[in-house]
Amino acid sequence: MRSARSRMSLAGWMLALVTAAAWGPAAHAADAPGGTLVIGLDQEPPTLDPHASPSAVTYQVIASVTENLLYRGPDGKLLPWLAESWSTSADGRGVTFKLRHDVKFHDGTPFNADAVKFNFDRIVDPKFKAGGARAALAGYAGSKVLDEFTVQVTFETPYSPFLNYAASGPLSMVSPKAVRESGDQVHTRPVGSGPFTVKDYVAKDHTTIVRNPAYTRRAPWSDRSGPPLLESVVWKFVPEAGTRVTTLESGETQGIYLVPAQSLPRLEKNTAVRVEKMPWPGVPRIWLLNVTKPPTDDVKVRRAINYAVDRDAFLATVYKGTGLKAFAPLTAAMLDDPSLRQAYPFDPARAKALLGEAGWAPGADGIRAKGGQRLEIVLNAIEYGGGPDPTAQLIQSSLHDVGIDVKIKAQARPPWYEDNYRCATNGPVMFLRSVDDDGLYALFHSSLVGANFNWSCVKNPKLDQLLSDGRREADPAKRRAIYLAIEKLALDEALTVPLVDELSVWAFRANVQGVKYNWNAYPVMSDAVMRK
Amino acid sequence: MLIWITRRVLSVIPVLFGVTLAVFSMLYLVPGDPVKMMLAEFVTTPDQVAQMRAQLHLDEPLLRQYLRFVGNALRGDLGTSIRSRRPVAAEIGENVGSTAQLALGSMAVAVAIGVPLGLLAAILRNSWLDVGSMVVALLGVSMPSFWLGLLLIFAFSLHLGWLPATGGGDLPHLILPSVTLGAIASALIARLTRSSMLEVLGQDYVRTAQAKGLAWWGVVVRHALKNALIPVVTIFGLQFGSLLARAVIVETVFSRPGLGRLIVGGILAKDFPLVQGTVLFVATAYVVINVLVDVAYAFIDPRIRFG
Repeated sequence: MRSARSRMSLAGWMLALVTAAAWGPAAHAADAPGGTLVIGLDQEPPTLDPHASPSAVTYQVIASVTENLLYRGPDGKLLPWLAESWSTSADGRGVTFKLRHDVKFHDGTPFNADAVKFNFDRIVDPKFKAGGARAALAGYAGSKVLDEFTVQVTFETPYSPFLNYAASGPLSMVSPKAVRESGDQVHTRPVGSGPFTVKDYVAKDHTTIVRNPAYTRRAPWSDRSGPPLLESVVWKFVPEAGTRVTTLESGETQGIYLVPAQSLPRLEKNTAVRVEKMPWPGVPRIWLLNVTKPPTDDVKVRRAINYAVDRDAFLATVYKGTGLKAFAPLTAAMLDDPSLRQAYPFDPARAKALLGEAGWAPGADGIRAKGGQRLEIVLNAIEYGGGPDPTAQLIQSSLHDVGIDVKIKAQARPPWYEDNYRCATNGPVMFLRSVDDDGLYALFHSSLVGANFNWSCVKNPKLDQLLSDGRREADPAKRRAIYLAIEKLALDEALTVPLVDELSVWAFRANVQGVKYNWNAYPVMSDAVMRK
Repeated sequence: MLIWITRRVLSVIPVLFGVTLAVFSMLYLVPGDPVKMMLAEFVTTPDQVAQMRAQLHLDEPLLRQYLRFVGNALRGDLGTSIRSRRPVAAEIGENVGSTAQLALGSMAVAVAIGVPLGLLAAILRNSWLDVGSMVVALLGVSMPSFWLGLLLIFAFSLHLGWLPATGGGDLPHLILPSVTLGAIASALIARLTRSSMLEVLGQDYVRTAQAKGLAWWGVVVRHALKNALIPVVTIFGLQFGSLLARAVIVETVFSRPGLGRLIVGGILAKDFPLVQGTVLFVATAYVVINVLVDVAYAFIDPRIRFG
């Protein structure tokens, strides 16, 4: 949903990062299928039910287990998957999907229009506690089975983000029969239709997905038909970062997710290991500035903060190659434009000038003051046990240099959320994973002050209008223009301080090849092999 | 004797009452609306919030909520986890075995290292071995368990490749975590054995036994050690508590399933029923184990019963 130009530069950039993932068809013959790939993950999924999960880790595990109507690869293009074709109605409220006829769920039941209806109805059922899937179906009015393999999904108002959501994990399809009959088991054994099936789930330890021999189709990311090459993939839950890296180095695991920044240089030097980085779609690590609470209610102060924060220092000291500089409320992978990149260069002199204009004069202790009031800002940070988010401390030191005293309110998650809902601090540092530019709706729409995630507490009619327009507009070029306008407005009003576009960083033993990634930066495994 | 045991067992009731009260009030001591917190990562309608409140009976008067909580707990119903949507009792059941293995394994390591070390230090008092072993013990007490765990992984998994770094299950997976926890507990046991041994060695009956011409080692092992170990037994019960606290870290470093990780995972996920249920279970287990230790103590040392 964006211009070819921006996609091209992104694709080139990703190629440079993921060179080692190159995978030619000639290699298939050389590698006998089989083998078990063990991958260490940083956390355990709260559930494997794609409709119930609020967490990315679920979709990392099941990206090759459950399938979607559409597929979106790293180049951002929508491809057919369970749907052979799709068309949007003239009023933009309905999408009609023509489904494949040859798809069966792992339990042998057929995939058809009834199954699509069942899945979407399940997500919006008030008795069901949906995760990210619920927001993806905002304004869902219902699904109509037109014939066995044709289904029409309608919304109360035109809703263009739907196609991108239809290609993302939360809206993937599970077997209606399995949901009806297995009860709680759906949390650990989702029954999909993909190249792998879930074999076991051992809480706090691991979950195993095994090859589905009945998979004869060509997965949309693959250039061949047929079942996966690996026998199985074991996802091991290894929360401690140091331990996780060690297991990769010792060969106990052959892949790990979330390479800690401090270990990245070491792994990049290790020839037995290969590092792969994918950009996350969505909202970067960002500081939302509360526009209702002094002194961040003054746009000059907010702009000064944007000029004063040294993003290069973030990358050099904390991120070390696991992130890129962020420029806007959407990551560059989502929407990239020169005008966004130029918005706020690091310029402490300009920051000081702006603060001066706003009436904040330098004080004796280096902190500025106005009418006896010190220039103090409260940053809401999550306390993870090992101290607050390191980005908070970097913000603190950057802003101290221009005379702003940042108080870090480091606290556990529940009160952190509560403060965000009540607009009680000058704003939190957070991030969002979203596959559509519509992720900005959650961030800036006035109806979401006091909820998730308008924690800038901004109520701006122009923004609201643009956000609604973005949902209605179906034409990709026009949509891009709308979201670019939203981003420019957000930057001009300095509603946020974009900090770092984080990367999804994976590392594999060098003999593991053919792991591919979808648009969400989740790995798909059916072409992966382990060479001898 | 029977009266003493009965009294000791009955004394548990007020303790457990206090535990249930503390665990129950947890929900209300944490700032913020618990239901909103639990649902923070979900997109919810006010209906769903109300439904969740009703499902957890949070719309009822406090006293009734508390009585329901205690009543259900007595029947073994610890509620349902928000995150996994499974009964908390089932979650505990899955994890308690792994933690019990770790507890027994680390206690075995602690005794195997701590008692001989303390014994030697006491016998060879003020020798280099005494000073050396007490320095080692001091290091053990002060060493953070995650640090020791990572060092052991570094040595035995990465460099020597002898033992797996992660996972639960069979014996090889148990060794490194047990050594990590046990080595730290052994330091305390060594120090305790040493001081208790020194005290016993100064007693009249030891001198008498030696005066009778009994072999010196026989006196130490058969007469002195047996008595010196009595206070060491008590420490087991107390160690169990700190062992659970450290298990949180050790289970995380070694990616082992267990109660420690269950509680921490529950706290991070704001899964109140899971945290309440697990804390209640652990606290009860702690109390019961200490009663058992006290009863065992009474059997070993007759003075206790009449004290």
